[in-house]
Amino acid sequence: MSVVERQLHIEEGTKIPCRTCKWEIADPTNPDQGQCTVNRTGAGAVWKRWVRDVHGMTCARHEEGKLSFRDHV
Amino acid sequence: MATVAEALEYRGKSIEFPLEYPEENDIPDEELHEHLARPSTERTKKLKARCRWKHASAGEFVEKGVTSGIQRMRFITEAHRASDGKPEVIRRALGLANILNKYTLVLQQDEFIIGYHAEDPNMFPLYPELAYMAVADYLISDYAPQPVDEATEIMEYWKPYSMQGKCEGYFDPEDLMRMYQVSTMEAPGFATGYNSVVPPYETVLEDGLLKRIEMAEANIKKAKEAMAETPWDATKGLKWIDKIDNWEAMVIADKAVIAWARRHARLAKIVAENFETDPKRKEELLEISEINHRVPAEPCKGLKDAFQAKWYVFMVCHAIDRYASGFAQTEDAMLFPYYKASVIEKAFQPMTHADAIEWVEMERLKISEHGAGKSRAYREIFPGSNDLFILTVGGTKADGSDACNEMTDAILEATRNIRTTEPSILFRYSKIGREKTKRLVFGCIRDGLGYPSIKHEEIALEQLKYYSQFSKEGNGATDEETHSWANVLCMSPGLTGRRKTQKTRSEGGGSIFPAKILEVALNDGYDWSYADMQLGPKTGKSENLKTFEELWEAFKVQYQYATSLVIRCKDVMRHFEGRYLQMPFVSSIDDGCMELGRDACELSEQPNGWHNPITTVVAANSMVAIKKLIYDDKKYTMGQLMDALKANWEGHEEMHKDFKNAPKWGNDDEYADTIIKDFYEDIIGGEMRRITNYSGGPVLPVGQAVGLYMEIGSRTGPTPDGRFGGEAADDGGISPYMGTDHKGPTAVLRSVSKVQKNQKANLLNQRLSVPIMRSKHGFAIWHAYMDTWHDLNIDHVQFNVVSTAEMKAAQKEPERHQDLIVRVAGFSARFVDIPTYGQNTIIARNEQQFGAEDLEYLNVNL
Repeated sequence: MSVVERQLHIEEGTKIPCRTCKWEIADPTNPDQGQCTVNRTGAGAVWKRWVRDVHGMTCARHEEGKLSFRDHV
Repeated sequence: MATVAEALEYRGKSIEFPLEYPEENDIPDEELHEHLARPSTERTKKLKARCRWKHASAGEFVEKGVTSGIQRMRFITEAHRASDGKPEVIRRALGLANILNKYTLVLQQDEFIIGYHAEDPNMFPLYPELAYMAVADYLISDYAPQPVDEATEIMEYWKPYSMQGKCEGYFDPEDLMRMYQVSTMEAPGFATGYNSVVPPYETVLEDGLLKRIEMAEANIKKAKEAMAETPWDATKGLKWIDKIDNWEAMVIADKAVIAWARRHARLAKIVAENFETDPKRKEELLEISEINHRVPAEPCKGLKDAFQAKWYVFMVCHAIDRYASGFAQTEDAMLFPYYKASVIEKAFQPMTHADAIEWVEMERLKISEHGAGKSRAYREIFPGSNDLFILTVGGTKADGSDACNEMTDAILEATRNIRTTEPSILFRYSKIGREKTKRLVFGCIRDGLGYPSIKHEEIALEQLKYYSQFSKEGNGATDEETHSWANVLCMSPGLTGRRKTQKTRSEGGGSIFPAKILEVALNDGYDWSYADMQLGPKTGKSENLKTFEELWEAFKVQYQYATSLVIRCKDVMRHFEGRYLQMPFVSSIDDGCMELGRDACELSEQPNGWHNPITTVVAANSMVAIKKLIYDDKKYTMGQLMDALKANWEGHEEMHKDFKNAPKWGNDDEYADTIIKDFYEDIIGGEMRRITNYSGGPVLPVGQAVGLYMEIGSRTGPTPDGRFGGEAADDGGISPYMGTDHKGPTAVLRSVSKVQKNQKANLLNQRLSVPIMRSKHGFAIWHAYMDTWHDLNIDHVQFNVVSTAEMKAAQKEPERHQDLIVRVAGFSARFVDIPTYGQNTIIARNEQQFGAEDLEYLNVNL
């Protein structure tokens, strides 16, 4: 797996966009953008990354689903 | 068994700390809060048990079945389409009238204060005329209004007419993208719809709306006569046109509100006469019908009238005409005349003090059930609460005497009884305030409600006098009027009363985030840790900042860029609010708008500009660590620091230890406090006050974190104070970073008291020992602490009194801890409704003990 695949990247026509990923939650303002929450420390911190385009971006850590509010920030 | 504080030697005596209520000895620490609620009647017990809470966390509603309604957006759109060509202010009034005339009414079992702001008590309305992005977010959520196709069509219709559509064109798209992320700056109100208002409730209670209609009609008549004077003078005559439109709109709005209340009256009567089988409830429904027919049309005569009239005003101003958070009012002063009529004189709606308490409990449950159609950002940043609702009590009267009265006590007693997270309470602390009321304030705090939060009476009075000199209308607050102050939202004092109150959040509110700004300043304006884009001006790579002063200047430039931009957003929105988002109902109940024929959004008599720096202490502690370890001691270079930060300290463990152990705020440490005082006074306040806002006054900082210390923490990489990437930031406005205040509660007070210049308010969160506060000495220690806090001229303080054992137990079994309440920042929340990330930040706060040195400093007599 390449470094690019592991990281958030644009992939036109992706079947696994961030929008459907359990680690993604919507951007606070613009619903076409989002926040990736996959980076979590053992101590419980969540280090978010901004998702510029939730429909066209993806990465190798994509997992379908939705987390409970308890697992977000 | 309950934990009891250990005895200590103090002034030559051994002081024991037995619990004030011995029966609590048998209650385990892990479940204390579940034993503290005591609704005063069966009715409020039932209402609490079936309360339809609408707490939000991480953007989601915690309770099942909560969703947005379609009716408000449907009816306002219908009216907007039908009123094309009419003056905009008339269109706004017709929009409100169409909603109220067609809204489904809600009348619920057991309630005495009736009315709801959506078609179903599990719903909340949406506001397509504000921000299309906020509606778009709901449309793709589990809370979408039904039918979605209709809601989508409505959203599309409003895009060009919405505040967002009107304002966006006046900004660089790159700046908008930076703001919408909410990392260095809060998104502008035109993109979120977030707002707050202080309704002039008093005019409705004292005059009634029929009188306000008469006043507006008389003004129209006079205006038309003035226009007809000869010889015609256009320089004067044309000015009447807008005024006439405003007064006409006020009449339309007030008539609609009266008709809406009277529809409720008719419904209650129909239910009583045709469906209710319980004779007692039937009698109540007939009384409800009588009250709702009379108010808010006529002046209130008793306490029941006042609660109901106030509720209608709240619903229209905060939820139906447009969305606005808050519950700002000086409730005890406002209600006391009606308390006197009903409880003391028994002249109208006679009742006992205990009955008055039940009414307060009922009102608190109405607020608890209120649903806010706020955007996602605001469903994230007040985790565990519905919205921000803060009322104010206490303080001093215009003659300088104690303002506490029996209504103050009823509010506090009810609050302690019913145990809800909303509405929060602010207590105006003056040393002349009576002890009886202060004991009730303490009772709420000791029971862990996290409120009343406390503000310094005299600081607030002086502040409002200061702002009044900048009034563009030459009509700022008089000294007498300043005594009506209440917190507009969590922290900032503003006027209440018949005129000059804050009408829109463009005056005050909104946030800016120094921790993230520092991160950006260290990276030439670039955000490497969250958005991967340029977030501010290019101020140079940190490796090239040769002196601490150069770093200070780089931060200042970044901060001024962000601050000016966010205030510009608010003022541009205010410009358009006055033209397209007028509030004729609010105008009709404001004496200034009524007298001058001007709209509430446009008219500003009392400047009160503020903005909220949040995460200041992370930035300030970072500045201290950099100065000490890089510029003073020269133990590390800036390059080494940047490498360590980029690696999230991994592989730089020794260095991390040094930066983490650098002097921190809150320990009365001369080195740290000198730098941090300057940081607050010269940059955070000093730079902000250089700005002049819509109202003609300066903008001052109100440091207070709400839940944004979590959100911004998660969007900020590692910082030089030793924080790891993604960890929460500081939880107050001037509170020490969690767990870094090691010198006890009085050292915190001494540090905080050093910051005085260029501040409007700063939130101080403190967590106090449960065994000490629940001991027989609890009140004496707290009271001495408060008097010392007052003497040190500190603006604010609020307390968590909750044990780690109970919070940890609630994390394991949330269903068994529904009554566990904690103070987050400017609001309280049910602990179990907060995400685990946030819960851990409350647990991590230092639980302050009181040692002999602290007691000596406070001069406590035990």
